Amino acid sequence: MNDFLFDVIATELEDAVGRENCSTRTIDKITHSVDYFWLSRMWADRGLRMPEGDFIVAPKDAKETAAVLKIANYYKIPVTTWGGGGGTQGGAIPVSGGIVLDTKRMNAITDFNERGMYIECGTGTIYKHLEWAANERGYATMHYPSSLTCSTVGGFLAHRGIGVSSTKYGKIDDMVLQMEVVLPNGTIIETSPAPKHAAGPDLNQIFIGSEGTLGVITRAQMRIYEQPEARRFRGFLFHNMTDAFSAGRELLQKFKPSVMRLYDEAETASLIKKIVGVEKKGAFMNVAIEGVSEMVDLEEKILLSTFGKYGAEDLGSEYGEKWWKEKITFFYPGHMMDIPQCFGTMDTIAPYDKIEKIYWEMKKAIETNFPQAKFIAHFSHWYEWGCMIYDRFIVDGKDVPQDPHEAFRLHQAIWNCGVRTALKNGGVVNDHHGVGIKLGRLMKEQYGPAMQVFEGIKKSLDPNGIMNPFKLGL
Amino acid sequence: MKFTKKSQEHMDACRFCWMCRHICPIGNATGQERNTARARALGLSLVAREAVAYSEDIINNVYECALCGACVKECVTGWDPVAFTKEARLVAALDGKLPPYVLKMVTAALETGNVYGATPDDKLTAKIKGLKKSDTLFFLGADARFKTSANAVEAIDLLLALGVDFAVLENEPDSAYGLDFLVGAAAETKAAAEKCAKVLNGYKKVICYDPADAKIFRREYKEWGVDVKAEVLTFTAFLADLLKDKKVKKSDLVFTPQDSAILARDLEETEPIRAILARIGEVSEMLCNRRDTMLAGNLIMNEYMPLVMLRVASDRWTNAKNVGAKTVVTESPAEYAMLKATEPDGMTVLTVEEAVAKCL
Repeated sequence: MNDFLFDVIATELEDAVGRENCSTRTIDKITHSVDYFWLSRMWADRGLRMPEGDFIVAPKDAKETAAVLKIANYYKIPVTTWGGGGGTQGGAIPVSGGIVLDTKRMNAITDFNERGMYIECGTGTIYKHLEWAANERGYATMHYPSSLTCSTVGGFLAHRGIGVSSTKYGKIDDMVLQMEVVLPNGTIIETSPAPKHAAGPDLNQIFIGSEGTLGVITRAQMRIYEQPEARRFRGFLFHNMTDAFSAGRELLQKFKPSVMRLYDEAETASLIKKIVGVEKKGAFMNVAIEGVSEMVDLEEKILLSTFGKYGAEDLGSEYGEKWWKEKITFFYPGHMMDIPQCFGTMDTIAPYDKIEKIYWEMKKAIETNFPQAKFIAHFSHWYEWGCMIYDRFIVDGKDVPQDPHEAFRLHQAIWNCGVRTALKNGGVVNDHHGVGIKLGRLMKEQYGPAMQVFEGIKKSLDPNGIMNPFKLGL
Repeated sequence: MKFTKKSQEHMDACRFCWMCRHICPIGNATGQERNTARARALGLSLVAREAVAYSEDIINNVYECALCGACVKECVTGWDPVAFTKEARLVAALDGKLPPYVLKMVTAALETGNVYGATPDDKLTAKIKGLKKSDTLFFLGADARFKTSANAVEAIDLLLALGVDFAVLENEPDSAYGLDFLVGAAAETKAAAEKCAKVLNGYKKVICYDPADAKIFRREYKEWGVDVKAEVLTFTAFLADLLKDKKVKKSDLVFTPQDSAILARDLEETEPIRAILARIGEVSEMLCNRRDTMLAGNLIMNEYMPLVMLRVASDRWTNAKNVGAKTVVTESPAEYAMLKATEPDGMTVLTVEEAVAKCL
């Protein structure tokens, strides 16, 4: 782009959102170029600059967002939406330059609706702030991912995020009622006033998980819940994971705990030992039950008798409470994998008849093909029909090439191997971190001819292909 | 660009971590991604790797931090964005790269003894002149002397009413808090500290009206090897102790403390204000209180980013409003000034001395 045209676009964007909300400052470009994706981190660590947006633009509402998208469409320049930048899949990286649309000015809480049990807010609201707003009035959002303090409402919706209490309260798509979305052509639309209807396909579900490729979600009504009368934890140690899966599946036919987390033997011996203090060998599982006290009493009895049948050692409440207190500690630098290690989380989900096999096959594939990699996992979101694997590979820094291009190749090769193994055995590309640029190439491998549905929607809504190019395999 | 090994280690830990984003009062007020500890760390880590220059852009960002320590408090691993931010300011100073608005204040501090380059208020000067000599010094600090002098007068009046024997210096030395905020542990900052310590050591006890001065006397002076022999107390702690034996009227007012970040996090002093307020009324809390407090304003930053400071204070009012608070009580002159400037209808900010004076 020549300087003259650059200034033409810059001044139009400034006119749309205000000069102070349209930046070309180096610091703004840098900070919107590195997200939580390992490759962007490695690139920065090697002293290289990631692809940067040309304009960092922060609209205050849907109207200003629409104005930005109209400008982008006219000049056919890419738009990458940035919420908190805490994504692991490179979804927020402006790989093609253009406009980075930062949503965080859209952070107003416009309605605290106790009767409707929802908070309406701009999608740039940091989720923790939403939680505070709920807590100040005696409620809770029940969305507690490790990135609660880092990420925005829009970010969680855009990649279909999930929190630790998902078994009882669901995923982000279960927690949203209505959304306002700005389409790529600048039209502002609202999804239906309530979900779970039969008025055609659910529009919410078209945009949730679309990762900014189909438009920008600018406002949402997020559910709130009464604080539970009681929240009780119970830690268990299983002899092996097969027993744990059977016990978990059986329990979920009876009631829904809020938290269910099973750690494989490797993760029990590493992370759980370090953070929670469990010294014994086996597979650690933490279960939280919450709600009305009388119900919790009853559910705890059922839990103990069910897990007892599978030989689980009851570790009492201490470890579970410690786990709850430290649930975010796992993700701080110094506790979490970090550069110079090479690592990734290949979360996938499957029914109970496939999940354990996927785990063993992925472990075998990674450890056989990449002997320098360690494979650890936990199973953190459980449903009546199946659960997800949060499996991670870790390569020690000494085994990671210093050459950034070679490190890049190693990373991609491990991911290809792991995800293809998951797909081959009945898993999906991803459970809750999204696809981004990291896994886009694998979307066609999962969906095959079904991919044309996504491509058709994309082509129809975004004919110029300006919205978050090269993400989601679109 | 050379940073110390320690600072580089902290930058490298913080550059990819967002865990403290929600607690940053500046980031919350601006919504700007650059106003996060991780953004500053990322920018500086790239400077250290010579991927970007230590340019005006990056340096300005280093000055967009209030050094309130919320991020430090939030980090369970113990990484310290305040430390590397202060070092980055020092590096900018040593390299002759201070932004003009910073250079102006530093020059003012060196020439006039306060970063504002202000002259004392007549009413306050007259009040100080009327005080007797004492071995207890009531140290007002630059913010109170030059920005909220009416509060300083009220605080003096309260101490007099409570029968305290104390002195206030007409030519109070610079505590070096402002210089430390702007350029960290530069030679000029330490020289100002030495000069101030000599004056403080002429007293047995020093009561600091501004928590910022209490912090630098107790913490940074110690780090720099500047010896303060006098006992240093905060005004709030002194007052709480004093009121233990005094008769005060308990009102039906409900007070909500605005914990000073410095008192709560740097000096770990959160209970004296509650003890005082509980004597004169009821205490209700904001959700983020004590060590979790959110900054409500900084007068030095108000010199160069006033609109952001107004937003910072307004955000704190929103926190207070959300829990039904009506009367917010602050221990910091800077926070008082900013909260007063943004006081919403039906809500009031009081200094501790104002709250107590109502009930004497």
